[in-house]
Amino acid sequence: MKIAVVQFPGTNCEHETLLAAQSAGLSGEIFRWNRPAEELSDFDGYLIAGGFSYQDRLRAGAIASKEPVMDTLREEAEIGKPIIGICNGFQILVEAGLLPGLDGVNVALAQNVMVSKGEIVRRGFYCAWTTLRHEAPSKRCCGSFLLEKGELVQMPLAHAEGNLVTADEKLMDRLNEENQVVFRYCSEHGEVDDEFPVNINGSLENIAGICNPEGNVLGMMPHPERSSFAFQLPPTDSRKCTGDMSAAGPGRRVFESMKRYIEVRR
Amino acid sequence: MKIKLRVWLKIPDAEAATVKNTLRRRMGYEIVLAELGKERLWSIEVDDSVQDPMDLARRLARDLVNENKESYRASVDSIEFEEGYVPVKVGLHIEDGEAVSTLNRLRNRLGFDMVKGVERSVVWKLYLKSTNPEKAAEEIAERLLINPHKDFYEIVT
Repeated sequence: MKIAVVQFPGTNCEHETLLAAQSAGLSGEIFRWNRPAEELSDFDGYLIAGGFSYQDRLRAGAIASKEPVMDTLREEAEIGKPIIGICNGFQILVEAGLLPGLDGVNVALAQNVMVSKGEIVRRGFYCAWTTLRHEAPSKRCCGSFLLEKGELVQMPLAHAEGNLVTADEKLMDRLNEENQVVFRYCSEHGEVDDEFPVNINGSLENIAGICNPEGNVLGMMPHPERSSFAFQLPPTDSRKCTGDMSAAGPGRRVFESMKRYIEVRR
Repeated sequence: MKIKLRVWLKIPDAEAATVKNTLRRRMGYEIVLAELGKERLWSIEVDDSVQDPMDLARRLARDLVNENKESYRASVDSIEFEEGYVPVKVGLHIEDGEAVSTLNRLRNRLGFDMVKGVERSVVWKLYLKSTNPEKAAEEIAERLLINPHKDFYEIVT
């Protein structure tokens, strides 16, 4: 099972994303954006790593979404191969129209606006640990295939533009009805509150991750590769482990899900 | 009345270069798009009782313009763009947190009590070789310059 970690100019999480995938039993390599795009077809799945592709020029993900590798990824998605976009990878998938995958660009990931008691209390770049509630049924999506509905996972986020907005008033109903909302930001006890700091970036209905209708393309703003090992957890987390450096952290479930999704699809 | 500040980089604008390259190399505009430039546009609503708006514009520019790397031009109420390009103004139709913060800073920290509102946008200057440049500009705006779920655009005539 071989996956490609797609790297654009400005991507900065490719090595740890590959390491996290390898820790879940996947093999793979970093695939630079300027390689012949058709070589992507040799892989069983794809991870679009986080960072600041093209320095977020114009808006996050917009320039990378026009690269030829994205046309190939669109074709690979159409035949059912899994793609997971993390942070900037999510922004690229949105700008490419692969998420939520309803014909064209259906949402935007706007600048973070943190609201509490009706007032903007922060805006822009934010970095923090967050808890995500898995909203989709088990096996609905390639990146949460092994998670049960309602399960909580912890991972950090670090971004300036993760505030999911849409001008389509009916879109949220559709995403909810079709179980395309995969992760929501919640409290450590699993309660969804639309105020900062639980809704950490102002995202519509606390959305942290969505998938396409088929479930084989997932985008999420938080970084599962940054909590794939127990040693990466914050000191306040009782699961933090400094002895066994290979011990799993909660984020590894995303990569294990991708592996299982590929196995089942075969 | 509204003070308009057009701000542009006097050093090379890497963002404009990237947008130009993407349009020409990736999106099929290598013949149509001859050149592309970018300006930031501040539109600052001030109290009508202000006696010397151009002096106020200079004082506002001390906060909004970094003259080590940027130049600006101020006008009151209207803007006259130069000939030769199609100006495409792009802004947010959702709440603009930076504009809100700027208004708060100008009024509450820097003492510009006469400032009533702040709007922020970007003007893309498209130098087009086309029989219908406005239509080509609209197409470029919709295909790349905006995400319609947060941005609006306007061809400024």
